[in-house]
Amino acid sequence: MSFPFRTPRRAVVSAAGAAAAVVLLAGCSAGGTGSEENAGEPVSGGNLVYATGDAEPTCLDPHVGGNYPQALAASQYLEPLVSKNDDGEIIPWLASEWQESEDGLTWTFTLREGVQFTDGTPLNAEAVKANIEHVQDPETASSTGYLALQKIESAEAVDDLTLKLNLKAPDSALLESFSMPWVAIQSPKALERSQEENCAAPVGTGPFIVEDWVKQDSITMVRNENYNSPPADAAHEGPAYLESITWKFIPESATRYAALQAGEVHVIDNAQPDTIAAAENNDVIKHLDAPRPGASNRLELNTSKAPFNDPLVREAFVRAVNVNDGVSSLFFGTAERSYSPLSSVEPLGYSDESLFGYDPAEANRLLDEAGWTERDAEGYRVKDGKRLSLEFPVSTNQSIPAEQSLFEQLQATAKEAGFEIKLNLLDLSSWYGALAENDYNLVSAPYTKVGPDVLRILFHSDSTVPAPSGYFANLSQVKQDELDELLTKGSGTSDPAERAALYEEAQKIVLEGYYILPLYDQQNHFLYRSEVSGLRALPTVSTPTFYDAWLNS
Amino acid sequence: MSIFSSKRNHQDPVLAGTSRAAGTPDVAETPGTPGAPGTLGPTRGLRRVSGLRAVELGAAAVALFLVLAACFPTLLAPFDPLAINPADSFQGPSAKHWFGTDESGRDIYSRVIHGARPSLLIGAAATAIGVGLALVLGTLAGLGGRWLDFGVGRILEVLFALPGLLLALVFIALAGPGITTSVVAVGLSTAPGYARIIRGQISQVRSSAMVEAAVVLGRRPAQVLFRHILPNALSPVFVLGTLGLGQAVVWASSLSFLGLGAPPPAAEWGAMLAAGRTYLGTAWWMTFFPGVAIVLTAASSTVLGRALQRRVAGR
Repeated sequence: MSFPFRTPRRAVVSAAGAAAAVVLLAGCSAGGTGSEENAGEPVSGGNLVYATGDAEPTCLDPHVGGNYPQALAASQYLEPLVSKNDDGEIIPWLASEWQESEDGLTWTFTLREGVQFTDGTPLNAEAVKANIEHVQDPETASSTGYLALQKIESAEAVDDLTLKLNLKAPDSALLESFSMPWVAIQSPKALERSQEENCAAPVGTGPFIVEDWVKQDSITMVRNENYNSPPADAAHEGPAYLESITWKFIPESATRYAALQAGEVHVIDNAQPDTIAAAENNDVIKHLDAPRPGASNRLELNTSKAPFNDPLVREAFVRAVNVNDGVSSLFFGTAERSYSPLSSVEPLGYSDESLFGYDPAEANRLLDEAGWTERDAEGYRVKDGKRLSLEFPVSTNQSIPAEQSLFEQLQATAKEAGFEIKLNLLDLSSWYGALAENDYNLVSAPYTKVGPDVLRILFHSDSTVPAPSGYFANLSQVKQDELDELLTKGSGTSDPAERAALYEEAQKIVLEGYYILPLYDQQNHFLYRSEVSGLRALPTVSTPTFYDAWLNS
Repeated sequence: MSIFSSKRNHQDPVLAGTSRAAGTPDVAETPGTPGAPGTLGPTRGLRRVSGLRAVELGAAAVALFLVLAACFPTLLAPFDPLAINPADSFQGPSAKHWFGTDESGRDIYSRVIHGARPSLLIGAAATAIGVGLALVLGTLAGLGGRWLDFGVGRILEVLFALPGLLLALVFIALAGPGITTSVVAVGLSTAPGYARIIRGQISQVRSSAMVEAAVVLGRRPAQVLFRHILPNALSPVFVLGTLGLGQAVVWASSLSFLGLGAPPPAAEWGAMLAAGRTYLGTAWWMTFFPGVAIVLTAASSTVLGRALQRRVAGR
């Protein structure tokens, strides 16, 4: 007898070979070659390759939806009305001046003169009006921009360069909102195209122009030769130094870092803590740390359903998980533990470390008090025949592996107190789906916004209502009148001292209610090769800008 | 000894079919003394053993170890595979942690040992599903007449047009990730290959003189099928199953490597590879040892399958 064995055998052997290749790779350790830094006079020309590990945007127009990957890319080709300098002051960009009325209900913006969109359309008051309407149009399905501009009732063009905004209520955060890429100004002519067309190649006033977008590979951006609208804190004027940027998508972090080491790419984002630590002892690779503004990176406890509708269980959870040991071992000193709802770059952030100590005994006591007294065969607590189980959908696109490992460690320590945490690693769209169906007890959802008004977006009861994109930002689903009132007042007052006091009070309520478990700042680490000079992150939402950057040969 | 008895177990159904008259098991040929493979002296067992190569003995030893690890992981693993210890993270191999520790300070040796059970279980279950499904399809095609043969043949060809792993991914996309799904997915995607071979075997045996004789003697069709055709056609299936087991383990690991298998924090080789690849530059042991486990499993099952194949073929 003879048997046709060939096919299966070959398949097994090749599969084993593939696994062997992985093992061999593991044995090799990577090394870099040394070269001296050479940051002299700016050099014009060259193509810079940027590799991003964030999710590839589905739309390059950041008005649509509005997430961080869009902001990263859009910071190269779109510009907002104002910016922020390193001291945290709002500075002119596309708007040169602005004025708030006495009652805070009317704002007048004067636009910069002589600026053109890259399709030749002039920047004027009508153009900005069209942009505000575009963001507010439900058809656009905006989330971040929509929430930021919520208080604008109407816009009118007073003359060519003067724009008047009528507000529903005073908005102390209006300028901060206008500094963000999610409400950056696009050519009104381009916005009239179909959303599909505009998503593929938005037209702005920025130093680069979107030339081509090959999905799942890269975006090609070329220099805007007529560029004349840098922000007030830029290092030079006129067109950018770089001739073009290749914006590559390399989701795999080890591959991204290897490409940087090999010199195939010049800059990477979402750098892993271990590689950042390694770069400290390396002349070729440099580190740019730019924590994002707005919220801290935190776990949100869904108070809309059991078991976290019980404050005792929320506090028990917070006491049951050991965050600090995980942060210090997994992040190699690149992340500092946070005890605040706000990012450390927000001047009005309020911290209270005493609320978040790891205390298993207290956690057990609280759970007993809350009635979760029995334990099942696997050691999980049970009440009325139901296990103390928490659904935790994790967006793999929005969290680095070290963070996912931290979640696993929280899972392990919570188990000792009798919590079962079910980690579901999901892609971005499945993750949005789980949130929309209220199918979560815990979630980590980074939210970036300039200024403390992010608290209103995240904790005001109005934010449990989905934005046109379908996303709602109040994921702990807090609905508390006192908090609502503080946040509404805070966003309406222009007195700095009163504003600070109101936001402090609001943060106290958020922390003491155990609606969130703060972890650390939203990590935003970039690694770049030493031949790149002049790279900086915008002080607004910490996206890198390549306008002042050049490549030393 | 279990090496041989397990090999004989694989063949027993074949024996039962072909040489039922012999009846008594051939005790003399089964080595009764355990003894490590390397220390086998000039005993009666040698005649059997001399037919084996060193590599086959090695493969058998690996297989034995894996089965042991899968059945009694706590005997072999010094630590709890899920117990975290952040202070001990990223430790290289040492006397305490033979394979080092991972990013959460878990002992990798213990995790590799505990990973044997899900991997082998998924591999075996998937192979069983694949072979089982293939038996039905292959028998239908081999015995069901021209039209059924034609129909099944075309369906198999369509399935063959898709790479097996792709078929598995499609199934997971429809059914959602998880251990059960990946077992079924891998099983389904290996079935066409087995089915085609079984069909060929069955039609070959069906036209043999032995079957003709049985039919002429007036045996009932069921009797002919179960006593004569299936036992004779199936001997290669066990060989194929052994070869396929390694493949199924690799595929199952691939699926959990992609995040479509066992959810965290399960100790599963593919998932461990995936977790380790982030730290490839700084903590090679996180990837190396689970990788070695997959390679050894696949290799030992291939070597054993080939040895089995030679024996069956030589019969």
